[in-house]
Amino acid sequence: MKLHVSTGPHVLTREVTQTLMLDVLIALAPTTVAGVYLFGLRAVWVICVSVIAAMLSEYVWQKLMKQKASIKDLSAIVTGLILGLNLPSGVPLWMAALASAIAIILVKQLFGGIGNNFMNPAMFGRAFLLASWPARMTSFFLPERLLGNSQAAFGVDMISGATPLVPQKLGITLDIPLSDLLLGNIPGSIGEVCKIAILIGLVYMLVVKVISWHIPVFFVGSVALLSWLLGNDPLIAILSGGVLFGAVFMATDYATNPMQKIGHIIFGIGCGTMVVVIRKWGNYPEGVTYAILFMNCLTPLIDRLSSRRVYGMVKNHV
Amino acid sequence: MSKFSFRGGIHPLHDTHEGKDLTRNKPVRAYASKIVTIPMDMHIGAPSNPIVKKGEQVLLGQVIAEAVGGIGIPVHASVSGTVTDVSAKIMMRKVPSMCITIENNGLDEWIPLNPLGSVESADSTKIIQAIKAAGICGMGGACFPTHIKMSPPPDKQVDIIILNGAECETYLTADFRLMLEQPQKVVDGLRIAMRAMNVKRGLIGIEDNKPEAIDAIKKAAAGRDDIEVCTLKTKYPQGGEKQLIKALINKEVPAGGLPADAGAVVLNVATAAAIRDAVVEGMPLINRITTVTGKVKEPDNLLLPIGTLVNEAVEACGGYSQEPGKIFFGGSMTGICAPNEEASVTKANNGLVVFNEKEAIIPPEDNCIRCSRCIYACPVYLNPYAMKKAFDMDKMDVLENKLNVKECILCGACSYICPSHQYLTPAFKDAKDIIAARRVSK
Repeated sequence: MKLHVSTGPHVLTREVTQTLMLDVLIALAPTTVAGVYLFGLRAVWVICVSVIAAMLSEYVWQKLMKQKASIKDLSAIVTGLILGLNLPSGVPLWMAALASAIAIILVKQLFGGIGNNFMNPAMFGRAFLLASWPARMTSFFLPERLLGNSQAAFGVDMISGATPLVPQKLGITLDIPLSDLLLGNIPGSIGEVCKIAILIGLVYMLVVKVISWHIPVFFVGSVALLSWLLGNDPLIAILSGGVLFGAVFMATDYATNPMQKIGHIIFGIGCGTMVVVIRKWGNYPEGVTYAILFMNCLTPLIDRLSSRRVYGMVKNHV
Repeated sequence: MSKFSFRGGIHPLHDTHEGKDLTRNKPVRAYASKIVTIPMDMHIGAPSNPIVKKGEQVLLGQVIAEAVGGIGIPVHASVSGTVTDVSAKIMMRKVPSMCITIENNGLDEWIPLNPLGSVESADSTKIIQAIKAAGICGMGGACFPTHIKMSPPPDKQVDIIILNGAECETYLTADFRLMLEQPQKVVDGLRIAMRAMNVKRGLIGIEDNKPEAIDAIKKAAAGRDDIEVCTLKTKYPQGGEKQLIKALINKEVPAGGLPADAGAVVLNVATAAAIRDAVVEGMPLINRITTVTGKVKEPDNLLLPIGTLVNEAVEACGGYSQEPGKIFFGGSMTGICAPNEEASVTKANNGLVVFNEKEAIIPPEDNCIRCSRCIYACPVYLNPYAMKKAFDMDKMDVLENKLNVKECILCGACSYICPSHQYLTPAFKDAKDIIAARRVSK
């Protein structure tokens, strides 16, 4: 009789990378549905193209490099979906595909695949498009189907426009009802407008413990606080752009945020601060993408500096 | 009522009640092994020195090996009969262990026993010596000689004795059945230990998944205001010595120090029962309750003579129910794998678990996704993620000096929780071994 001999533990949790990614996909479902409802068929195409392009890029790259296929861990689908939800519904489809391919190959695979990328792939894909075709990336369609009946701020005949952050940047105060901000009756990227749907996803991820609350709360909290200190309406600051989507789905990306709880708090505050700084003093009306990418780059440093006291030891300095 | 707990930890096999349902309701059944092979190095410290020869007749409880050195303890015959072999065999350690094999003649002839006295009357100055003579060592798994634990350095003030009835390990119900069926023995053992160490306060910590045991122990300790029964949250590794001390008295054992530095001594409930038997009955430690479970036909809690072989213990439970792929002593988190079926039950073996081939296979490592679960799970607040990175890059100095790998208690929580099956605990065990070997060679 041949017996296996190994060091414990001899049992492992059933939670694996694939199930975690599946939970993220489930959490993204309400946002996706809301985006499709609001922006119509066009949104379906953008989302499908970015998801399929992401999967295909990963598959082909790993085939060419003779690596083990990791398509089953669902992470490419998550990247593709998050990217798609981050694009305006009017974006040309080839741009969505290109961004996906860059996200998967340049950011994820070239650095060693899942877990080894130092920047959020979807974020980088979006930043790439934003830098290359800024006009196309910042003209948003107004939702095809408005929820509720209030369209006062934008007017019925308006088919495309900027997010409410643009007038805010120019010092114009828009009078958008809170219900419109929450339901998504504003221009914006496919997935970022319906805040209710994002919050449902957040609650799901917290309940199944895929993420902890620290990053979203400190991210959003610092945006609200700093915007208020700078004299802007904190509610508009949180609810009109991509802050909530970024804080819930992108800043919480495991690979690109710090490992320790204290690191999560620093990361969240850093993201929030950068968003407000870019919005106030930068050239862009919105800063979520660059804020998160900036903090991604600081993650190794934060990890290095954050330590915790080991049981039975006085505070140790790493 | 508030429940005592610690920071970190995991809930292994939570949906199957920690795997304990298989044997939870099985009363302890005494089993007489036909043959026993007793290793001389069951305990931590110098191996005992055999004083019997092949062919010699021995009685139950007779000393068959003498204690060596200050930490050593004697070994006693766990069956009466004929010594058939005294030789080195491969048991649970990497190097062969000297073993004494005895064939049971079934007569159960005891040596004359010399009890010290009752719980109240036993001469307290002689208790610790009696514990050593009975060959008692920690029965929760570590097998550290109990008389040493109970003789802390004179500069350490111990003012509390904690009995560990947490039994947080998966699959095991041995301590549970002991507390349920013989609560008085456990409480008496604690009282004897308190008298021997002149300690005025005793705590018994039990996880809340064992309410029947909590009730039984509470009843046995009723009317004693120096003994308190504490309900612990069911969480692994609640029964780790350091975690138990943190949970119950909110103190930390200093790094590199002893529980006595936190003013406490921790004993397993089975050890307490053995102390009581040694003092009140004069009985040496020759058998123990072992949960035999997993892929055996009738999982059970057996009272097994020390030295019972794996195949006989399994036979006592109706044999294998499936082709075994892995057999380990202890629970599934920290259990030590038996190399073959001729390995034997030692004083520390509270469980014997059989896994089939499918359960035995540990999946290959995937990429770490930096999910932080290992960090949140670590009950000594280490950084398993960084430790594994350092180990993979062979940075032993970083592991030792910056990441404090020597504080790792090898509980397995990080490995269990890792969604990409990183071999964390095995790596840290290797690292600790390498660092220890380096220190010796210096």
